Amino acid sequence: MHEMQVVEIKRIIKETKRIRTFILDLDVSAIPGQFVMVWLPGVDEKPMSASYTRGDLGITVLRLGDFTRRLFELSPGDLLGIRGPMGRGFKVYGDRLLLVGGGVGVAPLAPLAEEALSEGKEVTAIIGAITKSELLFVDRIAKAGGRVLISTDDGSAGKKGFTTDVLRELLEEESFDQCFTCGPEIMMAKVLAITREKRIPTQASLHRYFKCGIGICGQCVLDGIGLRVCKEGPTFRDKELWKSPEFGHYWRNAAGQKIYFGGKR
Amino acid sequence: MLEVELCGIRLRNPTMLASGILGTSGAALKRVAKSGGAGAIVTKSIGLTPREGHRNPTVVEISGGLISAIGLANPGYEEFGEEIRVAREGGVPVIGSVYGFNFAEYATVAEKLESYGVSAIELNISYPNVGKAGAFFGYSEELASEVVREVKKKVRLPVIAKLTAGAGDIVAIAKACEDAGADAITAIGALRAMKIDLTTAKPVLGNEVGGLSGPCIKPIALRCVYEIAREVSVPVIGCGGIATGRDAVEFFLAGARAVQIGTAVLYRGITVFKKVSQEIKEYLEENGHASVDEIVGLALR
Repeated sequence: MHEMQVVEIKRIIKETKRIRTFILDLDVSAIPGQFVMVWLPGVDEKPMSASYTRGDLGITVLRLGDFTRRLFELSPGDLLGIRGPMGRGFKVYGDRLLLVGGGVGVAPLAPLAEEALSEGKEVTAIIGAITKSELLFVDRIAKAGGRVLISTDDGSAGKKGFTTDVLRELLEEESFDQCFTCGPEIMMAKVLAITREKRIPTQASLHRYFKCGIGICGQCVLDGIGLRVCKEGPTFRDKELWKSPEFGHYWRNAAGQKIYFGGKR
Repeated sequence: MLEVELCGIRLRNPTMLASGILGTSGAALKRVAKSGGAGAIVTKSIGLTPREGHRNPTVVEISGGLISAIGLANPGYEEFGEEIRVAREGGVPVIGSVYGFNFAEYATVAEKLESYGVSAIELNISYPNVGKAGAFFGYSEELASEVVREVKKKVRLPVIAKLTAGAGDIVAIAKACEDAGADAITAIGALRAMKIDLTTAKPVLGNEVGGLSGPCIKPIALRCVYEIAREVSVPVIGCGGIATGRDAVEFFLAGARAVQIGTAVLYRGITVFKKVSQEIKEYLEENGHASVDEIVGLALR
């Protein structure tokens, strides 16, 4: 049973101007890629990837809307309700791993990098953000022993452009056993298109509007494949996503209406 | 052996997906039919306009079941045609669930779903978590029968009324629906309940109260089916806490011709329909029965 546990916030880390990590008084042993449902009592409940998966649970949050704004008003000692960790995490089976993370999407990739590196695997991480000060977990992954390649939209650090530009160049020179990606879905769709050409098996972590979080309400089911993002996901294999006309194109709002990425129809 | 007929609709087995579970998109419904093994699938309740429903938390697990208050979220009847088209690829009857805030809404939406090719209409007069919709009509004989009457004027398909045990006298409501022309009765929908968090002293659900479902309501649902089946001649569909073949058999003995399964998807996965069907078959074989029909209502005799 996924009972809600109400726990204290132990520490809050300001990662960037718009991203904070909340370390919670909840001992977990999660698989990187798994998520928790985070309840702000009296406000709302949203799914968040675990960014610290061993010992005290950590979630890393981008301030985006009303819920995250309220979350940013909290202090250590304040309470959050947690259900989980739940869902299917990343599955690692190769030795040379490539991570591609955009924005706050680096959150589930950082613990994956740390675990893989501690098991003696090679990790290269491409990390992208709109600007240098919004880059997430560059030092964390580097400190664990990973190689980090950077892109920024404005060129203030690393390559000017997108993670996919760095990815394309890198794959001209090198090969990897597996790729893992998390970030804006349009970015992930491009990552999958590139790694497909190079025949690198890729797993992507998807974000959808969640309600129940336990696989019964149907809110997050992907068209074409009928898989539930909260249950069979949030990480999916490339070969699953290729079969979904939804991936990279649209998501469904709380009413179940299709909302196209980038606003197009 | 497992085949049943329900107001002219043939089901390959007597297990149906209950409304509100996995029913928002065609892809999910199709999966429940194809890999899940359901004999029929009931859509999420559809209304006139898109509704986002209640804010999260919308579902909370408790021992013995779930309390949920999704709040009749749905994309509205105009967009739902595409979902029904995909759902029908599952190869089993699709039953369109309809809710409304007034009689005309029920009738308009039912008529539209009929045009999308559903096999029957289930009237949601059982949902307890949105003020003047759903159960609002199911609490009174007059309102319940008026919904049935208005919808029957507009559609040719079989019309099923889904009732709530929150009504003072569910048997009287069932009889009123039958008199108004309902072709079948589903009993029961979720029951109003709540959960309070001890640490924060706050109700957990965004809507504060929600509908209780799962094994803990099974005895209540069974009693309702038993009492209704004794008094009406139209088929009764059992719903409420059914998770195993033995649960389903209890409902057949009480007079149900089919059963709906919802919350048990959480406990036994999407293939719960296959598992329950197999367990029903085993029961029938062990007890020397040739069909589900043979045991319907045995406890009433």
